[in-house]
Amino acid sequence: MAGKSGSRVPGTLKGLALTFKTAMQTMFPKRGIKTLIPAPSIGAMTVQYPHEADLPTPRARGVISLKEDNCTSCMLCARECPDWCIYIEGHKTLAPPRRAGGKPRSVNKLDRFDIDYSLCMYCGICVEVCPFEALFWTPEYEYSEARIADLLHDKSRLGEWFQTVPDFQPYESGSEAKVEKVPR
Amino acid sequence: MTTTEDIPQITDLDSLDGAIARLVADNSVLHLSQSEAEERSGYQAPTADGMGERMIMNMGPQHPSTHGVLRIVLELEGEVIIRSKPIIGYLHTGMEKTGEELSYLQGPTNVTRMDYASPLFTELAFALAVEQLLGIEVPERARWIRMLMCEANRISSHMLFMATNGMDLGAVSMMLYGWREREEVLRFLELVTGLRMNHNYIRPGGVAADLPDGWKGSLQRAIDPLPERLDEFDILMTGQPIWRERLQGVGVITAEECLTLGVTGPILRSTGYAWDLRKDMPYLHYDELDFDVLVGSYGDCFDRYAIRLNEIRESIGMIRQIVDRMPGGDYKIQDKKVTPPPRARIDESMEALIHHFKIFTEGFKVPAGETYAAVESPRGELGVYIVSDGSARPHRMHVRAPSFINLQSMPHMMRNSLLADTVAIVSSVDPIMGEVDR
Repeated sequence: MAGKSGSRVPGTLKGLALTFKTAMQTMFPKRGIKTLIPAPSIGAMTVQYPHEADLPTPRARGVISLKEDNCTSCMLCARECPDWCIYIEGHKTLAPPRRAGGKPRSVNKLDRFDIDYSLCMYCGICVEVCPFEALFWTPEYEYSEARIADLLHDKSRLGEWFQTVPDFQPYESGSEAKVEKVPR
Repeated sequence: MTTTEDIPQITDLDSLDGAIARLVADNSVLHLSQSEAEERSGYQAPTADGMGERMIMNMGPQHPSTHGVLRIVLELEGEVIIRSKPIIGYLHTGMEKTGEELSYLQGPTNVTRMDYASPLFTELAFALAVEQLLGIEVPERARWIRMLMCEANRISSHMLFMATNGMDLGAVSMMLYGWREREEVLRFLELVTGLRMNHNYIRPGGVAADLPDGWKGSLQRAIDPLPERLDEFDILMTGQPIWRERLQGVGVITAEECLTLGVTGPILRSTGYAWDLRKDMPYLHYDELDFDVLVGSYGDCFDRYAIRLNEIRESIGMIRQIVDRMPGGDYKIQDKKVTPPPRARIDESMEALIHHFKIFTEGFKVPAGETYAAVESPRGELGVYIVSDGSARPHRMHVRAPSFINLQSMPHMMRNSLLADTVAIVSSVDPIMGEVDR
């Protein structure tokens, strides 16, 4: 065993040196004269939330936003949702005619559009199935609540989030463009 | 580490029969309930000198090293494990049954939650099975995107193993390093799919979205530092005498025993049996890639660790080949029966709008029949078996979860090992309990 313990020390030391080196790179990432100033928030691989904000990718599925004017309460999103977390109620009403002298149009007015984010699986099926471009993903993520019941968000809150919808990123060239512009 | 050519494959069925007899004879599985086992094993209260202790001990379900909610009932003779029994079901969510209620369009969002450390593989197996039933061919680009995403996911899954395996065995800084590398890969997955896990990205008929602009840069940021970091892992773990003594010769299992138990993945490969579905039953375009199947020779915890570490290196090589060969074209099939019409056409054509509603309200019909499609997940052969009755929902869906089947090799690995080795063995099997219980 004596010979074995002789070979044991350098391997352990090498590992310790590596750990120490990585720790130093994290604690003292600055170079030159500033080397001695500890700056762990620069050297760290993690985002120091809430002191600095995380930057999600434009495609990030943070929260679903609603453009209320585009919704026709067709219920396609509600019935395609795998766990039924979208609640829609609406009624028919008459809108002024498009052209002067025409007949008033019959439109669907949205009374309630709630998404229960405590149930939502963030699969994005509702956004994909919406044929009238009323639902959009936004990378917004700061909407945690203390009570689970408060995660049921109504159409006004979903409408506020619509302001944060990013422009659609161009798909890579060579494949067919699929998505329209965001209807601002 | 040796490559495939040197290893003889097992063709002798008698040796498998011998393995069955040996597995039965070694009596390592605790079949009784806890109270029965205590009664029959002649449980004695610990004496003052600590001798003659034979007791039943529960490890888990909340033990930090059981990778979720696995409970292992151990029958101990002092410090030595005589028999053991893994108890599962604490995470049972009925996902297979739920899959019968969801249409094929909603299916991927359900199956992706089974193996939460490598979600894209379950999606891929589900999509391949549905496509087999439909008899459709997905476009070239979709297949290469699928391979790219799966290999990136394999890296993140094996990095999770590196982190937790190090943590379980006391290499605490490994926990941080493994997590750090995994994070970069997850950033790439988020850029492409929108989520860090449970992506719902690989769908029957292709993938959900094309690769965004700048994906190559993001991928390089994730992949390029890895070879250097993996060399650091070699210094921190592979070369360490403490690490080797903790793992070498622990939890030994033979190839015959693995085959009789149905164990696949790194555990089977660690015994020297080169079985990798990417090589042996190629799906997508894996037959066009140049990579090695890594095998071990002792079938112990160290081989399983080393195989996973080097599979990360193989995956990096594969990703580089895939990036070079990524073809142009469409990312999902344009088949009126399977995919909705393009967005832009909905505004122009009433027919397209009706079609859109029809495909989403009814789902697409899949011809009656049954099929099985398997992929090589980081944990072994992951298969999806679907029986279709011709409607838009599967009549029956079964997932052959590698974690579940690998788990039954654990009592045999643990027999006559020390209590402290349990942690190493559980960690080296790398079970994901969401997939075990599904």
